Amino acid sequence: MGTNRMTFFSIMATAAVFMAGVLCSPVTMAAKDPVVVGYIGSFDSDTGKSTIRGAEIAIEELNAAGGVLGGRQIKLVKADTREDVTEGIKAYEYLAETEKVDFIISGSIDDVSLSWLPRMAEYKIPTLDTWTSYVGIIDMVVNEYDKYKMYFMNVACDYALATLYVDFGKDILADKMGWKTTVVLQEDTAFGGGVFELVDQMLAPEAGIEIIDHIVYDTNTVDFSPIFSKAAESKPDFIYLISSVRSQVPSSQYVKLQVPVPMTGINVAAFGKDFWNDTGQMGGGTSTLSPIPSVGFAMDDRTKAFVEKYEAKYGNSRPIFPHFNGFNAYYGMYNAFNAAERAGGFAPLDAWVTEMENEDLKIYKDGKLWLRYGFWKPGEIEPRTNREYTHNIKFDITQPLDDGAPSMVVIQWYEDGSTAVVYPEKYATGEFGVPSWIK
Amino acid sequence: MRGWLVFGLLMFSLPLFLSTGTLRIFVMANFLAIFAMSWDALSGRTGYISFGHPFLIGIAGYTTAMLTYHLGVPLYLSIPAAVVVTMIGGTLFFLPALRIRGTYFALVTLAFMEIMYHLTQVIAPKVTGGTRGLSGLPEMVSGAIPNYYLTCSVMLLIGIGLWLLIRTGLGTALSAIGVDEEAVKSSGLNTNRIKLFIFTISAMIAGIGGALYVHYLGSIAPRALFDINFLFSILVAALVGGAGTIVGPIMGAYFLTFLLEYLRPYIPGAGRFVLYGVITLVVYYFAPKGLYSIFSSLRQRLSGKAGTG
Repeated sequence: MGTNRMTFFSIMATAAVFMAGVLCSPVTMAAKDPVVVGYIGSFDSDTGKSTIRGAEIAIEELNAAGGVLGGRQIKLVKADTREDVTEGIKAYEYLAETEKVDFIISGSIDDVSLSWLPRMAEYKIPTLDTWTSYVGIIDMVVNEYDKYKMYFMNVACDYALATLYVDFGKDILADKMGWKTTVVLQEDTAFGGGVFELVDQMLAPEAGIEIIDHIVYDTNTVDFSPIFSKAAESKPDFIYLISSVRSQVPSSQYVKLQVPVPMTGINVAAFGKDFWNDTGQMGGGTSTLSPIPSVGFAMDDRTKAFVEKYEAKYGNSRPIFPHFNGFNAYYGMYNAFNAAERAGGFAPLDAWVTEMENEDLKIYKDGKLWLRYGFWKPGEIEPRTNREYTHNIKFDITQPLDDGAPSMVVIQWYEDGSTAVVYPEKYATGEFGVPSWIK
Repeated sequence: MRGWLVFGLLMFSLPLFLSTGTLRIFVMANFLAIFAMSWDALSGRTGYISFGHPFLIGIAGYTTAMLTYHLGVPLYLSIPAAVVVTMIGGTLFFLPALRIRGTYFALVTLAFMEIMYHLTQVIAPKVTGGTRGLSGLPEMVSGAIPNYYLTCSVMLLIGIGLWLLIRTGLGTALSAIGVDEEAVKSSGLNTNRIKLFIFTISAMIAGIGGALYVHYLGSIAPRALFDINFLFSILVAALVGGAGTIVGPIMGAYFLTFLLEYLRPYIPGAGRFVLYGVITLVVYYFAPKGLYSIFSSLRQRLSGKAGTG
C-alpha cells in the first residue's frame, strides 16, 4: 500500500512537472501569442486599400491552414500615413513601439517610405514595400547593406520600369506609330518629378523621341483645358502624361475635350477597374504603363483564385479590382512567412533576411513562367543595366522575358470600356491604339 | 521659477514610468512645443501673425541636412551653422515684411513658405534631394529615451529663456506693440528695433528646433516642412494652448499631439483627424484664451480656497 501510494504520488508529481513544463514551454507560450503584422500606408487611396486587402486575404488563408510558426495565428494591425511624410514616421514608431509588430508590410508612396526608412534601420523590423518603386531606396540597400538589409521591395523599381518603357517607346511609339516628339504633362509631386527625370534621361535619348515642352500642373487642377491647349499648340506627336494623384481628371477631360493629340504615359488611376466609372465611362483611348499584374493582364490559376476571393470579400467597395500592389501584398505575405518558417521566425534578423533572399515563388501559365516573386541578392548584377538591385523583386527586362516577370506592361483602355495588355508581346492581349477622334 | 522646476522634475522622471512608445509621442510633442513657442514669441505677443515659420524651420533643416549628408560635416558644427543661417536668412527675407501689418504680413510670410517649397525642388535637386528629399541623415542620439531627454531639455531651456525675457521691459514693450504699436512709437521706443530683436529670437528658436527635428526624423522632404498642415499644427498648438503665454504653446502642443496619437488605435484612418478637429474646435470654443487660461483659473481657485480655508 505504502509503495502504491508512493508510486501514485510519484506519477502525479511527474505529471505535474511535465504539465508545468509543457504549459511553460516556449512552443506552447508562442502558440498563444499571435504573430503581429503591421500595415503602414494610406487607408483611403485605392493603392493603399489594395495592399491592405491583399495582406488580409493572405492572412486569412494562412490562419485557416492552421497558422504559422508552430500554429500561431497572424494578427494584422494598421497605421495610417495619409500619404504624409511626418505621419509616416509616427506610424512606423507606433507599429514598432506600441504594437511591437514582427513584420511590416507597406503601401507607402516614395517620400513616405523614405521618411520611415531611418526608423526601420533603428528598430530592425523586417519590412516589405509593395507600392513605392523608387530606385534610390534600392540603392540605399545596395550601398549600406548592413543598415538596410531588412528592407525588401516587391514592385520593380522605377529604373527597371523606365527601361522597359524605353523599349515600348522604341518598338511601338517610334517604330510602329512613327512618333518623334512629345510634350510631357507632369503632376507636381515627388513621384511625378522622379519619373520625369527618368523620361528625360532615357526615353528621349534612347528611343529618339524629343521632349519639346514640359508642363507641370498642380494635383488640385480641375480644368485641364488650358493645359491641353498649351500642349497641343506645340504640335507634338503625342502627349506623355505623368499622373498618380486624381489622374481620372485629366483622363476624362482629355476625352471630353477630344484633344487632337494622342496621349499615353503613366496614369495611376487607369491601373484599376474603377477608372471606367471614375471617368464617367470616358476613359477610352487611355493607355498607361503599369507594374504587374494589372487590368487586362492574363492571369494564371492561382492569381485568378486570389482575385475571385477579393471580389467575393469586398464586392463593390472600391477598388473593385486590386491594383498591382494588392497582388504584391498577397504574394509578399507568402514570401515573408515562408522565409520565417525556414528561419524559425522573423528573429534573428539575419536568418530571416537570408531566407527571404532565397525566396523564389515562380508562377506558371500554360507552361510559361508568368509571375516571379523572388529577390535580387547582394552582389547579383542585372545584365542589361549592369547594376545591382539588392532586395528588389526579381524582374526580367531582357527579351524574351523567360527568366522572370517583366517590370511592367502597357495597358490600353478601349472606348467600349474593355482593357488589354498591349506590350510586351509575350503578355499582349490586345493592340495599342489611339482614340477614334484622332485621325 | 518654482513652477518650471517642478515641471522639469516631473518631465525628467517620466521615463521611469512610461513606455518607449509614449516617450516617442512626447518627443514629437516637444518639437511641436518648440515650434509653437517660436511662433508665439513673435506672433503671440506682437500681433504680427506669421504664416512663414515652416520657412524658417525649413531653412535650418535643409542647411544641416545638406551639410551632413553631402559634406559629412559633424552635427556639432552643422546645427549651429543651420541656426545662424536661419537667423540671417530669415531676417533678410522677413525684415522688409515687418514694415507691413495684419493680413498682408501673414500673406507675405505664407508666400515665403510656398516659394521655399518650390525652390527646394527646382534649384539643385541633386543637392536638396528634389521632391523626394534626403533620407538617412545622421542622428544626434538614438532611441526613445535619449531623444526624450534631449528634446525635453531643449524645450525647457527655450521655455525658461523666453519666460525670463518677457519679464524684462522688452517683454512689456512687445506686448504693448501687440495692443497699439503707434502708441509705443509715440512713447519714443524704436519699434522696428524691438520687432527685429524678437524676430531674430523667434528665428533662432525655429532654427534650433528645425535642425534638431530633421536629425531626429532622419529624413527631410519638402512636403514634410513646407506644408500647410504643418503650419496649422504650429498655429493651432499656440492658439489652443494660449497665445501670448509661454506655457500655453507647450500645453497646446502636448494636448494636440497626444490627442491625435491616442485616437490612433480606436479610430484608424481619416476619422481620427475629423474627431481631432472637432475636439480642438470645441476646446477653442469653450476656452478661447486657451488651455492655459483654464489651468490658471483652476490654480487661482485652488489657491483662493486654500487661502480662505
